[in-house]
Amino acid sequence: MANSEVYVLGGYQTDFARNWTKESKHFSALMRESVLGALQKCDIAPEEIESAHVGNFAAELYCMQGHLGAFFTEVHPAFSGLPTGRHEAACASGSIALLAASAEIEAGRYGLQAVVGIEQMKTVAADKGGDYLGTAAWYDQEAEGIEFPFPKLFGRLGDEYDERYGLKDEYLAEISRLNYDNAKLNPNAQTRTWYMNKEQALCRTDDNPAIGGRIRIADASQVTDGAVCVFLASREYAERYAKGMGKKLSEIPRLKGWGHNTARLRFDDKVAESKGNAYVLPHVRSTITSAWQRAGLEDVNGVDGIETHDCFTTSEYMAIDHFGLTAPGESWKAIEEGWLEIDGQHPINPSGGLIGAGHPVGATGVRQVLDSCLQVTGEAGAYQVEGAKNFQTLNIGGSGTTSVSFVVGVD
Amino acid sequence: MSENTASASGSRLRKLLASRDIQHVVVLGANGTMGYGSAALFTQAVPRVTFLARSREKAEEGLAAAIKQVRSPTVATRSDVGDYGVDLEKALETADIVFEALTEDLEIKRGIFDKVEKGRRADSIVATVTSGLSINQLCEGRSDSFRKHFMGLHFFNPPNVIVGTELIPGKDTDPELVAFVEAFARVRLGREMVRTSDSPAFAGNRVGFKVLNEAAQLAEQLGPVLVDRLIGPYTGRALTPLATIDLVGWDIHRAIVDNIHANTTDEAHATLKMPDYMANMMAAGVLGNKTGAGFFKKDGKTRLALDPSSGDYTPESEIKLPDLSYIDAVAEKHSVGRYAEGMALFLAAEGDEAAIARKVIAGYISYAFHRAGDVTESITGIDMIMGAGFNWAPPSVLVDTMGVGPAVAMIEQAGIPVPANLAEAASAGRTEKFFNHEQVNVGKYFVAS
Repeated sequence: MANSEVYVLGGYQTDFARNWTKESKHFSALMRESVLGALQKCDIAPEEIESAHVGNFAAELYCMQGHLGAFFTEVHPAFSGLPTGRHEAACASGSIALLAASAEIEAGRYGLQAVVGIEQMKTVAADKGGDYLGTAAWYDQEAEGIEFPFPKLFGRLGDEYDERYGLKDEYLAEISRLNYDNAKLNPNAQTRTWYMNKEQALCRTDDNPAIGGRIRIADASQVTDGAVCVFLASREYAERYAKGMGKKLSEIPRLKGWGHNTARLRFDDKVAESKGNAYVLPHVRSTITSAWQRAGLEDVNGVDGIETHDCFTTSEYMAIDHFGLTAPGESWKAIEEGWLEIDGQHPINPSGGLIGAGHPVGATGVRQVLDSCLQVTGEAGAYQVEGAKNFQTLNIGGSGTTSVSFVVGVD
Repeated sequence: MSENTASASGSRLRKLLASRDIQHVVVLGANGTMGYGSAALFTQAVPRVTFLARSREKAEEGLAAAIKQVRSPTVATRSDVGDYGVDLEKALETADIVFEALTEDLEIKRGIFDKVEKGRRADSIVATVTSGLSINQLCEGRSDSFRKHFMGLHFFNPPNVIVGTELIPGKDTDPELVAFVEAFARVRLGREMVRTSDSPAFAGNRVGFKVLNEAAQLAEQLGPVLVDRLIGPYTGRALTPLATIDLVGWDIHRAIVDNIHANTTDEAHATLKMPDYMANMMAAGVLGNKTGAGFFKKDGKTRLALDPSSGDYTPESEIKLPDLSYIDAVAEKHSVGRYAEGMALFLAAEGDEAAIARKVIAGYISYAFHRAGDVTESITGIDMIMGAGFNWAPPSVLVDTMGVGPAVAMIEQAGIPVPANLAEAASAGRTEKFFNHEQVNVGKYFVAS
């Protein structure tokens, strides 16, 4: 398998606190800053890039613009003529772009590829944006005519836990509190300057209004503008790159394993299928375990931290037992024990996750991989998990529908 | 000394934060804008915040305003109120931080510090939010313990929105305490921290109000509409300069520029003299947005602009402007992220108007670089406070985006002193970047309008 190794040379994310509409900017500026930033950060000449993959959910709706792969060629004259394409799987779009790019590297087609995850969402009012996000569900059956459909779907994920195992909202508030706390350490996190503490997260008044069953504003990820670009490389290219940078190949992060499953689209169907299963979303569990298998890891103890998809506090609550930190239904124990803190025994979302760092839908999967790279190379600054060698991501599209996980690590 | 804890490692930060436990903050002058705004900020991270004012009623007004500003129930649950006569002494017994936000008057502040000195615990931090008074003067004659624990912590208004914050140690302040407060404000309060020296108006207001006042001077001849168009968002700012003065208030503007003008003698001294027409209009009650009129005012939906020569207001739509199509061309480049190309168009634009705009921007860069090493350790501190405190493109970002050669040529053309390090880099043909903070997206400052 040595020839099919895929390395991540590094990358760049835009500041997720920015509002590109307020800056009067077209989303091509967003793509441009992420790609040029990554080239500069990694010290790679534009002429080196052989192909590009763009992950994006809904630019047709938010920006009235399709054909995003072509916009990559606008970034630099050297990109004109490159093979590019765009990938979509709702909130997992970025990870699907990574999977496609890494498959091409494994196949030996290219030595160096750019992967860009991008979404500009602040172009429309909140209710309209909520409706657009509804197209990540089965729109006319689960979202049409419903105000903020996704908080309601993930509220029902919490209800399902409550029914099967019991669930106290104070644990959800603690998840929110931790993500906001970690975001304060991340200079690119959208909420890093926001007013938030546990009492605010637990607040059950109009200062923290309900938006979908048990889901309140503080339980939700953000509406975010952002782009992230990373470079994937073959072993051959990575060897040359490492040498040029005065590094050993073993210091360059590698996509050690991946998992990818798609469950049925409607939330009701997923839950009906999992009746009697210890895991509420068994396909998500399978994504996580297949990533371990491919990475040669036994279980969650093989990774030093996790960047998971906390689009809502209930999705992180689900991730905790699906990653096997606790027995199914006992995610609350990990929260109570403080395992998820940056210096805890199983840190989750040191970046602040989607709740704290932000959730530009198509960019999230790429952002998780970039943050994992920063962690395993010791470059995460104030949110560094000390000594991390392996990190795992979990990126989810829809109501637990498309799930992708990567194990990113150094040797 | 580190000017920015953003670069500190996680373990260093955690160690610093663990070195002190902040359970109780007492805010003095908690009824004023900076008092209640800062108090609200502290409730985010501190279990107990005491709002104190001249009377309990005033303190309650402050608390109500804080609740309204932050819209979190924890402001109320974590706060209590009181007055200086009855409650101060008791509050000081448990205060880990005493935060002073009284009127900007040396004697008034000294008066309250007499009481603080008597009642404070020997290990309590005493901070002042002053934007104009000297930190060393404020603690002159106090005990060793007081001076060791005293510093300026200058939040910008409103503190819940503007995150740039200046930290000003006095000459006797314990460096470990300064490092602690810096880490605490950054991590627990979400602040962007910049250390400055104890110099007039510190760093942000010194550089920022120089530019704002120059815009006010130019408005006397050009009128406010043209000035705000010329020094507009495309030059690297979210809000235009004269609209900014209207927002902060003409009285605040006067207090800051008068302080700088009276207490400094630098190469740009003349640009810090507030224009007479402003003083005359202030005498007639014009103070900007808070009085409903300043450089601009609203009549229903119509925006009117001041004619500084007559004091009259004219609908903006009736004011004839010269050809400013170069601004649209720059903005178009910015809108697709081609900022260097946009700034190149700005530098090459022909006509008197573009030259005036370049002179102001050149003055900003020159003034900032000349203050580096004096008000902050290096240009990075000024860069960070202009970015996070004013939402302006930091001077170094402008130089990097234009290129140091063209930036120096612009400054020379404007007849303004060229900072030595810029001249040197330009003549040596060096291409290094001056902006030293890789985590900041410099593109955000180039607004496309």
